[in-house]
Amino acid sequence: MGRVAVITGASQGIGRATALRLARQPDISGLALVARSEAKLHETRDAIGDGGPEVECYPYDLADLEGIPDLVASIHRRFGTIDALCNIAGYAEPSALLDTTTENVVRTFTINVMAMIVLIREAVRRMQHHSAKILNVASTAGISSRPGWVAYASSKAAVVSLSATLSDELAGRGIKVYSISPGRCATDLRRILAPEEDLSTIMQPEEVADVIARLLDESEAILDGQNIIVRRQI
Amino acid sequence: MTTGMIVLAGGVGKRIGRPVPKQFLLLGGNPLLVHVLEKVLTLEQIIDVVITCPPAYLDETRQLVANHGFDDRRFRCIEGGASRQESVYRGLEALAGVDSVVIHEAVRPLVTVDEFRSLLDAPDDNVMFGIPIPFTVLKGHDYVEQLLERSELVNVQLPQKFEAGPLRAAHEAARRDGATFTEDASLFYRYAEAPVRILTGSERNLKITVPTDLIIAEAIYADLVGRGSGSVARD
Repeated sequence: MGRVAVITGASQGIGRATALRLARQPDISGLALVARSEAKLHETRDAIGDGGPEVECYPYDLADLEGIPDLVASIHRRFGTIDALCNIAGYAEPSALLDTTTENVVRTFTINVMAMIVLIREAVRRMQHHSAKILNVASTAGISSRPGWVAYASSKAAVVSLSATLSDELAGRGIKVYSISPGRCATDLRRILAPEEDLSTIMQPEEVADVIARLLDESEAILDGQNIIVRRQI
Repeated sequence: MTTGMIVLAGGVGKRIGRPVPKQFLLLGGNPLLVHVLEKVLTLEQIIDVVITCPPAYLDETRQLVANHGFDDRRFRCIEGGASRQESVYRGLEALAGVDSVVIHEAVRPLVTVDEFRSLLDAPDDNVMFGIPIPFTVLKGHDYVEQLLERSELVNVQLPQKFEAGPLRAAHEAARRDGATFTEDASLFYRYAEAPVRILTGSERNLKITVPTDLIIAEAIYADLVGRGSGSVARD
């Protein structure tokens, strides 16, 4: 029996690239794709095509924390197991501190941090009796100063922190927790932040997805807990 | 002697390639316009500041001014015109009662308080900043048409200061002629026929025009505040 992976943010960028990459793994038998846009999720599913793992799309806005237990339960019912959780969905609305609204802070932390914790909690409840892996996407913004990005950067710092804590807390259960911090990556967010940048010259989502796939591979057993910076050297 | 100020914040961000106008871009985590207003705040002589904005961004600019704690009685946002020259004209209309007008632009966020003070304290009524041109310039398009002596030329900078009455008259005359100018020292020199004093400016008073300028400005700003990182991180 193969492994089942849940991927949030699977409609674009690193999330979609991860879905495509994991679909090529022979030991992956099921993919649960989560994102707000149903149409874009279907694009990801179509890009995976036939002949690979079973793919199910779950259109869902992670800002709705209350519904996450039902979401995870329905995924578990559909596949019978959850062996890997990739928390890739993220939200960013960069602005100066004095222009940062309360709504911006709440939404950023809800999606980037709180939803991640609730998802992990619900997934771990269904990972009780077997080894499993959780991978959280943080950012280099979470480990260095980012003037003008206070909500996003501090939320990503929280991801680094919660990943280290849960790596220790869940070690006894055989669950590994990874945190990766991508640097500049050719995603839609980067296009907003630096549209003049030639995205072909910076790290591609597929390169990050490749790192994620290696970490989620069952052979990887020594890197969890630490924040892993993923950056293309120029 | 009363002094007002026009801050041109009318860009729509075409050349910079960003989805927001340049004046809202972040430098060191704060909008370019805020960098300028923070310096103006310390200049007691300037009693009235008019910020000319694109009509579509008037409310957003007012919100920004309020968010950053600038008194809306001293810092007023008005609709700018279709051109830079038209925006200055509208700013002059809004500053009807002042004797002297300082003109600056939001996209020169690295201007210093000392530069503003030098301008205000200069004994001349009409003053601009300028810096030498460090590269060779020629006149021509497809073919060279004329040699220019760079030692006789100056790179025009803002801020600038003018007597309000003559500047208004110069703008009226330019409007009658349908003449357009890219900045006011040229317009004033052409129509007011009064001397315009040139103070030596600074390479650091960079105008943010193209994307590379923002990267350079981040480096200058980081040096100014003794820090090492900027909004658009390179890692």
